[in-house]
Amino acid sequence: MNRLNLALRLLKRDARSGELTLLVLALIIAVSSSTAISLFADRMHRTMNTQAAEFLAADLVIRSSELIPAEWHDKARELGLKQARTAEFSTVLIENDELLLVGVKAVSQMYPLRGELKTTQADYSVETTRSNGPKAGEVWLDTRVLATLKLAIGDQLMVGEQPLRVSEMITYEPDKRGDLYSLSPRVMMSDADLQATQILQPGSHIHYFFQFSGNAAALNDFNVWVKPLLLPSQRLMDVQEDRPELGSALSRAERYLGLSSIIVILIAGVAIAMSARRYSERHFNATAILRCLGCKQNDILVLFLYQFFILGVLACSIGSLIGWATQEVLFELLRELLPAKVAAPSLIAVMLGFMTGFAILIGFALPPLLRLKKVSPLRVLRRELEPLSNSAWLVYGLALLLISGLIWRYTQDYKLMLVIIGGGLATTLLSGILLMGLLKQLRKLLPHVSLSYRLGLQGVLRNPVASVTQILAFSITLLAMLLSFTVRNDLIQDWQQQLPDNAPNHFAMNILPDQVAAFGQQLEQQTMGAAQFYPVVRGRLVGINDVPVQRIVSKDSQGERATHRDLSLTWGNSLPSDNKTVAGEWTGAKQGEVSIESKLAESLQVILGDKLTFSIGSEQLETVVTHIRSVQWDTMKPNFYMVFGDGTLDNYPATYITSFYLAEENKKVLNTLVKQFPSMTLLEVDTLLKQFKTILTQLTAAVNYLLYFALLAGFTVLFASVYSTLDNRINEGALMRTLGANRSLLNQAHCVEFSLIGVMSGLIAVLMFELVSFGLYRFVLHLDFQINIWLCLLTPLVSVACVVAAGLWGVKDVANKPPMWVLRDS
Amino acid sequence: MLKSNETIIKTKNLGKTVSVADGDLSILSSVNLTIDEGESIAIVGASGSGKSTLLGLLAGLDSPTNGSVALKGTELTALDEDGRAEVRNKLVGFVFQSFQLMPRLTALENVMLPLELRGDKGAEQTAVSLLKRVGLEQRLHHTPMKLSGGEQQRVALARAFVTEPAILFADEPTGNLDSKTGEQIIDLLFELNQEKNTTLVLVTHDTALAARCQRTLHIEAGQLT
Repeated sequence: MNRLNLALRLLKRDARSGELTLLVLALIIAVSSSTAISLFADRMHRTMNTQAAEFLAADLVIRSSELIPAEWHDKARELGLKQARTAEFSTVLIENDELLLVGVKAVSQMYPLRGELKTTQADYSVETTRSNGPKAGEVWLDTRVLATLKLAIGDQLMVGEQPLRVSEMITYEPDKRGDLYSLSPRVMMSDADLQATQILQPGSHIHYFFQFSGNAAALNDFNVWVKPLLLPSQRLMDVQEDRPELGSALSRAERYLGLSSIIVILIAGVAIAMSARRYSERHFNATAILRCLGCKQNDILVLFLYQFFILGVLACSIGSLIGWATQEVLFELLRELLPAKVAAPSLIAVMLGFMTGFAILIGFALPPLLRLKKVSPLRVLRRELEPLSNSAWLVYGLALLLISGLIWRYTQDYKLMLVIIGGGLATTLLSGILLMGLLKQLRKLLPHVSLSYRLGLQGVLRNPVASVTQILAFSITLLAMLLSFTVRNDLIQDWQQQLPDNAPNHFAMNILPDQVAAFGQQLEQQTMGAAQFYPVVRGRLVGINDVPVQRIVSKDSQGERATHRDLSLTWGNSLPSDNKTVAGEWTGAKQGEVSIESKLAESLQVILGDKLTFSIGSEQLETVVTHIRSVQWDTMKPNFYMVFGDGTLDNYPATYITSFYLAEENKKVLNTLVKQFPSMTLLEVDTLLKQFKTILTQLTAAVNYLLYFALLAGFTVLFASVYSTLDNRINEGALMRTLGANRSLLNQAHCVEFSLIGVMSGLIAVLMFELVSFGLYRFVLHLDFQINIWLCLLTPLVSVACVVAAGLWGVKDVANKPPMWVLRDS
Repeated sequence: MLKSNETIIKTKNLGKTVSVADGDLSILSSVNLTIDEGESIAIVGASGSGKSTLLGLLAGLDSPTNGSVALKGTELTALDEDGRAEVRNKLVGFVFQSFQLMPRLTALENVMLPLELRGDKGAEQTAVSLLKRVGLEQRLHHTPMKLSGGEQQRVALARAFVTEPAILFADEPTGNLDSKTGEQIIDLLFELNQEKNTTLVLVTHDTALAARCQRTLHIEAGQLT
């Protein structure tokens, strides 16, 4: 208790004298940013998942072509899950002598379980948000159905044998899928009327979507329970699987959030290590006196540990509060972009921020603190006696262990951990050696430069190990900031490239060969530009090297899904522009050759030279794999698993597919096209695209805010570093002025010293950055890596500017402190 | 030693007051002092009597709250800090109790420093010859860390005299040294003082040392007695 009292007294005294300000500040920044990020990422993640669930209109969906057994419903009920059902099918409606192929969706009372529907009464007027579908006897129609069938709100519409009253125009449904049934003009009705329509007969082509929602544990239980019971024709859908384009954007954003967290913690850790070192060094004398007065080594340690524990609790509490407030502000700023319902902050995330703070404190501040234990009592007589340094293993090992642990916690990704730790260590070591060599060369310059330059140079060369450590600390900080900045830019750019403003938003399928020319002409006339048409033959992969494919595929694999249905097969010598060769060579000229998509090839274990057998209609077709290519599925352009050599499919009836961009105001063109080419099927994906873009905008904004945290943390390192040498500088500055140096000479010398540190940090940071980002891009984010020349040139300049500005600001008092300081010291 | 009667240091009503928690505290008041060129003066007083404060004000290391100081006719109070720095560089040398050498510079570089600040061309030669004079020709390239206390103070002496200053201020120059080394340093200080014909202002509480100066000023509670 006595020790605790003493610790508190010492802490109070240190706090009052400003000794602890920088350390506490660094800790508060670390905790507030890590809490804010942890809270923000957690809430964003849960919000995104909820929103992504909207795309399914549920948390979990079973897609089936028939009704599911009653026990499944019972099990879901037992687990407390909510249930809804939709049935989707195509039919042709006839009204006022007009015909139209529509996608009917009959929905149960509970639909949608997630998200909302939007309807309107008049053309493009105010939308109404609705939490349920149409009532029995009513029907909601897509605007195009009304226009084509010359109907108005309140009219009767015959769906099969059942007359229904048109009550609303439907403008938004959350789970609109990119398939034929969803993207034909929508007719939504209640499933209470389904029977009466008499459209559905045994053997009718229908898709049921059994939807479930509830808490995560129950959903998981249900998922595990139902998975083994699924028939091959039934499929479990979740966000990652069902919407790959959204899934990949989400998971990349998550990786970025994780990466940012680590970066901010790493930078803040460096700042804490620096301020803890200064704190420890400034306490050598006081510790020596305590030792003289009879304190044992362990007493000293306990005394300082108490102080740091109290400090940690205080700083982490303040940091957590600031972090909590910061993420609230972030969510408030993003309010317009975010869904109306945002997940609540979780206490666990706050606790994690708090614990992270303590972990940082232990990892980075403990080693300098342990050094105090080794202060010799003889120091009271001989001030120059410095305690032995801690072993490098302890200092770096502890920090490394902590960083590895944090990376693991945030990313759950051992690859990312290895890339960062391995790459980081290797480049740090390499850079350290490089810097030592560079300093050695710089020493040769000393006799040849003017006084201010020499003083500046000597500042760097005085203690090469300390200078190299400082430069490396800056470099790591800069590296972290660079990574955060460029990964963010590339991520956003990549998203934007995926969906440029004029990304195709319509697909036209089933275009007959003799209609292709006329259709192309129509598209060009309507200022939509020339479109690329791909021939399509429907066929199924049935054998690989004469072995039936079902014996080869594993359950629930991509291979299984792709071989359970007809694929769209195409041919030609020009592949879609975003396809990239993975293996082999493609000329497309030879009959009987096939190019296969790389992930499917991997799932089916197909390699070059394998023989693939397809069943097309009643015939079998044998081909040889001569090419494997990667495909970007999320470009909204037609893409294919299989592309055949020219002429291979000549004997089979083909239709054509194309995609094109149509602006909102040109929508009416669609009616003309539908009339002119009645056999053609039109898919509108513009609503889907809009939803997708909104999500990307939200992610981009969130990602930007996280960058600011990294920048803020970076600046604390700069100041911590300058402050860690401030005592020496003040003393030297005062002495220099005593000897007659004027302020401008001191400022010049400081400028030279900081510029040198800045330029070397900048260069090393660029070197590290290129190496680490190569690994990161190549192996973790799966983005293309390119050396960024501008960044290489600008970084050292920005580094010099920042280090000089922070440095001069930090030492501004050095030139102003009266030289009397020197006398006072003596 | 040639002695002229020209005044080199003159103070008028010199005073220094500092703010403390419960008001202002006068640490030096109404000091009127005239020191002639070539004179050696000892300022003697107990700890906290204000002798170091007086030295700091005389040397232009600090600004007085009231009164004025003139060094060789130049009014220090009329100058800004950079102006005072220039005067110090031209007229003044210092020796401190805790040596105050630049830790990152070698002995030679430390001695060269005031000459370089002045822009002298032959700094190295002058510095080497003075270091030889104080018996450190074998220690030219050693940093202060590698020198003993006595050696460090010799470097400090060489640095103080290298510019041939008109006035040398010494603040307890033997305070950190054993008596034998201290004596050697003092002998060296007075030798150099005579050789260079420097005015010496020495702060000490050692009466024997004070007795070696031509005049002794006693200071008590911030006032000359």
